[in-house]
Amino acid sequence: MQLRDYIIRRLMVLPILILGVSIVVFTLTRVGGSPIGIYLSHEMTPEEVLKIEERFGLDKPVLVQYIQWLKGIVSGDFGWSGVASAPVAEVFPIKLAATLELATAAGLVALFLGITLGTFAGARRNRFPDHLTRIVAVSGASLPQFWFGILLLIIFWAQLGIAPIGRSDATIFASISHPTGLYTIDAILAGSIRALWDAIWHLILPALTLGYGATAIIARMMRSALVEELQQDYVDAARAKGLAEKLVIKRHARRNALVPTITVIGLTFGFLLQGTITIEIIYRWPGIGRWMADSVLRGDQATLMTYVLFTSVLFLLVNLIVDVIYANLDRRVTLGK
Amino acid sequence: MPNNQFENNVLAKVKDLKVHFNSKRGVVHAVDGVDFEILNGETLGLVGETGCGKSVTGRSFLRLLPIPPGIIKGGAVNFKANLVCTRCSGRGCSECGKSGHKTEKGEQVDLLKISDTRMREIRGDRIAMIFQDPGKALNPTLTVGAQMAEVFLQHRSLEILDMAGLGQIKNKAILRFAKQDVKLFDKILLLLPKARKQKLKVQEAVKIMVSKALSETQVPNPLKLLDRFPHELSGGMRQRVMIAQALACNPDLLIADEPTTALDVTVEARILELIRELQLKRKTSVLYISHDLSLVRRICDRVAVMYAGRIVEIGKAEEIFANPSHPYTRGLMAAVPSNGIPRGSLSAIKGTVPELIDPPDSCRFSGRCPYEVNGCRVNDPKLRKITESHSVACFINDASLSWCAPSFEEERV
Repeated sequence: MQLRDYIIRRLMVLPILILGVSIVVFTLTRVGGSPIGIYLSHEMTPEEVLKIEERFGLDKPVLVQYIQWLKGIVSGDFGWSGVASAPVAEVFPIKLAATLELATAAGLVALFLGITLGTFAGARRNRFPDHLTRIVAVSGASLPQFWFGILLLIIFWAQLGIAPIGRSDATIFASISHPTGLYTIDAILAGSIRALWDAIWHLILPALTLGYGATAIIARMMRSALVEELQQDYVDAARAKGLAEKLVIKRHARRNALVPTITVIGLTFGFLLQGTITIEIIYRWPGIGRWMADSVLRGDQATLMTYVLFTSVLFLLVNLIVDVIYANLDRRVTLGK
Repeated sequence: MPNNQFENNVLAKVKDLKVHFNSKRGVVHAVDGVDFEILNGETLGLVGETGCGKSVTGRSFLRLLPIPPGIIKGGAVNFKANLVCTRCSGRGCSECGKSGHKTEKGEQVDLLKISDTRMREIRGDRIAMIFQDPGKALNPTLTVGAQMAEVFLQHRSLEILDMAGLGQIKNKAILRFAKQDVKLFDKILLLLPKARKQKLKVQEAVKIMVSKALSETQVPNPLKLLDRFPHELSGGMRQRVMIAQALACNPDLLIADEPTTALDVTVEARILELIRELQLKRKTSVLYISHDLSLVRRICDRVAVMYAGRIVEIGKAEEIFANPSHPYTRGLMAAVPSNGIPRGSLSAIKGTVPELIDPPDSCRFSGRCPYEVNGCRVNDPKLRKITESHSVACFINDASLSWCAPSFEEERV
């Protein structure tokens, strides 16, 4: 099993990479100053401030503080979030579930729309459908998300009144239990169609807004890759066999065009995670993005460091998945060399 | 159209074919009035320099032209396929002499005018093609087996179902699977246990057909080859796969577009032998496109020499090589190294191929021709017969123009 060995090897390197990332994250956040600000209030006396400093170990040398932080992470203690007024480890999973649900939905939208539009346009190069998708894609890449999101809200929420805001309807939310924190999955587990519909209904607009930009990137990449593949000899060879054009594109050209596109798809994932910050603020989505925006403004370093650390792990995992898919699509790629 | 019908020994007839390409600088007359016929079972060599339009001519048989920017400006590619043998439905039996088809002909069609659906029925089945570089003509992301299976599924689905013991099957999803026309809904239907078993049977039958076709090209261990990807094979092996794929359905006509150019010289001879052998066995006609005169001399029955979008000389191979009658053909032959020529005295044709954008109304070879006279610069020679089977598009030694015709005796500049 060459593939399994490769995955195991990559996963084994993961902790070392995370350690490196943790050093960078810690150093960078400390450049912003001492994290003590978030724990203080104006009424405190200097003695009380010293006490707090002692409580969080902030009076020790930076290196010791780093090691303490690392020790905490290993034992599951990510520090105290001043913004949430709770331990980071307690709030993080709940908020993360909300963000992951949004990002995944947006990712699926982008993946499906991007590949479909890109294939559609590439197969009809320089004809009307191609120009139309180009307009859609260029606007997707250039429309600021916060503006586009508000625009959609004005139309579908304020004017037409058909779109909801927030993450779920309060009564429906209370009607089922939430073991995973992903409302769509929870609804399926509970077998409640009403809750599932409600979860999806709330997801549509934010997912579309967030996915639009990534759709544009994937569609453009897919289109140009397909145009290039369609000029290859094997496409003519497939046609010479008598295959229907649909099959020539789907089985032959698109498969090859996906190879370069997959790399881009992996990269757009980071783009999606960043995008959640604006989207969550606009749509009142109770996810990590909003929390993070607050944390940056108020200097909640424990939360910030956890977020960056976690995002990098996610990013590394996504890259691993991309590499595996890549090697599966194009057999000339040998993994691990 | 009785006057348009052709004799029974003719398989295909190209008439005044014109294929132009739009480019930024004007219309390129890539193929500009080409006439020739391909006889049953013969090998016709189409020779010329790069860019003379030989590949475009070959590809127009399968309508594999980039349109746009290409335009089929006029002409016809008439084709009369042999009827498939009813006894063995193309597999090859004693009655049809292993060729899979009868000597009787089907309906005559113009390949440039028939519908796309009709064209697709002919592609890969009646007319097949081998490409120059097998490394590029095989899809790098699909296994050899999967790629070869496509030909059979496309044209032999009923036979496959018979072989799989599913001749009477009513399940539409399986029928569509065997025709590789699977709809979205079928994918779900094919997951049902019964359908899955039938699907596997179909795949097994295809596998047998594919490995049989591969074994005919003398590939060692064809079954092992099915799960390999093209990049894992050598160039010669890949071309064998291409050949097996092209000849899978016993086509009447095989377009071979420089099939050995990308291969080692050592492999070349064996590939040529293989094509020849399979061609004789199946009575297939071959249009052999090449720039290599010595190779064409070895394997072709007849030769057509193309220059700047036109055929300048056509005839039986021995006639052309014994008596080359177009100055361009002579020039080409003088440029081929052979035992008789002393070292260092290979000749090249002076000048370069003319641009094919809006060509003038003169002989296309004028300006490069060592024998040209004034008339060559204002008149355009048409193909004329010099013997029953040998035609040339040149005024040279033309008896009807005795007083002003150019001649091989006098070299002018």
